Amino acid sequence: MAQDRENPQPQAKPTAPRIDLRFSSNALLLSWRQWAVAGIIFVSALVLAPRIGERLENFHPPEDYRIPYDLSNDYWLFGRYARQAAWRERTLVIGDSVVWGQYVKRGETLSHYLNDRAGEARFANLGLDGGHPVALAGLLRYYGGDIVRTRVVLHCNLLWTASKKHDLTSEKEFRFNHPTLAPQFVPSIPCYTEPYSRRLGYAIERQVPFFGWTNHLRVAYLAGMDLPSWTMEHPVENPLTATRLPLVPADEPPLHEPIAWTARGITKQDFEWVDLDASLQWRFFRQAVETLRARDDKVFVLVGPFNEHMLTDESLKTYAARRRTVEKWLRREGIPYAAPAALPSDLYADASHPLAEGYRMLARQLWEDEAFTRFAADSPSAP
Amino acid sequence: MLFHTWTFAIFFAVVYPVYRATKGTRFELPWLLAASYVFYGWWNPLYLLLIAYGTVMDYWIVVRMDRSRRKKWWIALSVLSNLGLLGFFKYARFAAANFNWLFAHLGIPYAMPMPDILLPVGISFFTFQSMSYILDCYRGHVERERSFLRYAVYVSLFTQLVAGPIERASNLLRQLREDRRVAWEDVSDGLSLFVVGLFKKVALADYLALYVDKVYAAPADFQAPALLLATFAFSWQIYFDFSGYTDMARGIARMMGLKLLFNFNNPYLADSLGDFWRRWHISLSTWFRDYVYIPLGGNRGTQFSTYRNMFLTMVISGLWHGAAWTFLIWGVLHGLGRVLTRELERSDFYRDSVPRVAKQLGVFAFVTFAWIFFRAQSLDDAWVVISRIFTGGWMDPAFPLLALAMVLSIWVYEHLCESKARALLEQAPVRVTMAVALLVYVAVFPAGAAQKFIYFQF
Repeated sequence: MAQDRENPQPQAKPTAPRIDLRFSSNALLLSWRQWAVAGIIFVSALVLAPRIGERLENFHPPEDYRIPYDLSNDYWLFGRYARQAAWRERTLVIGDSVVWGQYVKRGETLSHYLNDRAGEARFANLGLDGGHPVALAGLLRYYGGDIVRTRVVLHCNLLWTASKKHDLTSEKEFRFNHPTLAPQFVPSIPCYTEPYSRRLGYAIERQVPFFGWTNHLRVAYLAGMDLPSWTMEHPVENPLTATRLPLVPADEPPLHEPIAWTARGITKQDFEWVDLDASLQWRFFRQAVETLRARDDKVFVLVGPFNEHMLTDESLKTYAARRRTVEKWLRREGIPYAAPAALPSDLYADASHPLAEGYRMLARQLWEDEAFTRFAADSPSAP
Repeated sequence: MLFHTWTFAIFFAVVYPVYRATKGTRFELPWLLAASYVFYGWWNPLYLLLIAYGTVMDYWIVVRMDRSRRKKWWIALSVLSNLGLLGFFKYARFAAANFNWLFAHLGIPYAMPMPDILLPVGISFFTFQSMSYILDCYRGHVERERSFLRYAVYVSLFTQLVAGPIERASNLLRQLREDRRVAWEDVSDGLSLFVVGLFKKVALADYLALYVDKVYAAPADFQAPALLLATFAFSWQIYFDFSGYTDMARGIARMMGLKLLFNFNNPYLADSLGDFWRRWHISLSTWFRDYVYIPLGGNRGTQFSTYRNMFLTMVISGLWHGAAWTFLIWGVLHGLGRVLTRELERSDFYRDSVPRVAKQLGVFAFVTFAWIFFRAQSLDDAWVVISRIFTGGWMDPAFPLLALAMVLSIWVYEHLCESKARALLEQAPVRVTMAVALLVYVAVFPAGAAQKFIYFQF
């Protein structure tokens, strides 16, 4: 301790340490004017860095592009791709892994077959793996700001209301996909367990493009890790030459083996469907629609097609009732939609994901649908 | 609520403008107290009962002591109350575990129930701060504070409540009495301190923690190079962590027009252990000097009694840090080290012929060795680390070069700061560039989720 100081009078008044330094010698002292300069430079860096980064980064998505699975949490890239696609006047097909194409290759998705039948690249796959409606609503709100006066096909997958767990209204705590896109405080998500301080961080960071860009750097260049953690895994490698995940991979094999649900040994399911009036996912699906319409986008909703063959009779009745409710709401709101009949049983890989042939058939059904062709023919900027 | 989180940013964004608006009015102290209690209660609202009890008790004791002829009785009551609180929350479990061990070895068929107590954050800090006020009042070095509200703010002020600096009434309480305006300089100086502290914590301490935690979680899985590097890394981690916290605490206080005590002064440039303790956690060192070492007799007696007092002070300091044998041994090591190096410093050869840099390296090596006991999760782990450092193999430690480069840069920077090159570092363009670089690094490359400060556990 500091008892070395000579103290001939032990009862002398003990004073606060005498070192009258405002700063330790390794501190950095700036005047308020210098801080103002530093602040301006710093804020400029925050604003400009994502833009400069975007210019420096080579990103030329091909026609059938979809965001690679490993970059599913790269919402900044989603925003960038959406902006590019909208600028090229493509129709954005937005939804969960049904749109993304979980059991198919990039050239076998719904948007691919829609393009195929259109004879030109008119549709862009903006599916988000694991993108339940609560997450999609957040994605469009915080990262889809450039989706303005654009045609959007929004997929409505009622699987997300198939149980309280799917619907995120279960009281039991569990980790769900894309929590940073979900509402952090209101409305309350009962199964969401993140500490409030972290939620606050999410709520702030998704408002600032710079943080989206730094997350992009982590996901795309550092295997989803922050720089310190990455150097722990690669202690002698130069982070500037990091093994990056290609933003445009040559091709990705299907995420799961493309075989029919019957061949997987899945039996008929009796889902505990959530009442739509109480459903969080349905509420946020409607919010996603409202967000797009508020940006003057032309929205077309694709309801299903769900794998009705997998449902027990009782569950099928409930599902049909839910679907009618959705259609009723869409009609009431004047939103064009298609609710095609279920595909043949062997064209499904599970409850909602078609196989390649299923997507081909679905695309054909859509192009034969009057509402869809009318929607596709409309100019996005028409009133 | 940690300083480097958004939660604190919002808390401060609310508290600060209101504080500025109420400064000098009768609402200033109630606002500060409310803010401090919200800050502390954020961890656990039940903690508020503890700090409120300590505040009321000590304030009341000083009032009674002021009017009483038997001051010693009141001071004894206060010490009993404060150390009782500390003992119960911090040492009860340690004591019970050791008694049970003793009973078992003596064949006594009794086991004390193990108390399941959650250690309140910062209890050692605000208890010591409160005790210093009472002891100074008792000695007549400070006047009794008439305003209970002001005293409550002195004990609980959120800037340094949970990990210091351990303030003195002669410094903080005096400033709380003054009606001083907050100047632009206070804000810019506070910001300077805060940004440096933020960088130390987020960019350096939390980075090194990744390696240290991995190695110290299972030291038997690692060989000499990794254990050695993890131990050196911990030396820097704890310095960046604690001095980073202190910088942020002092910076926030400074923005509010309050100057907290100086707490760190490049401790790893110390050229003796005495020098080290004059540079490391200065507010605690001086506390022990004033309230333990000097009352024990200080250096007034024989050489032996001086060394005994030094040794005892260090052992008590070790126990203050934590209720575990590892902390006690850490204190014993520093106590022995102080005695031995003091003897060494008495020799002309050591004083005049040994180069300063050799002394600095020696002190750093000793302090780092002692940190092994501070960091290890148990005595067994500490022995594993030490034995494997000297006998283990030479497997690649896989220590990140970037972390090594950053620590070396800081070390060189510290040397430059104490050299003639300091004038160059103080040029405005250099300072602005460095400030921007620190901010950009913190914004782009932070390590994961916000980590707690090491000293919060004490």
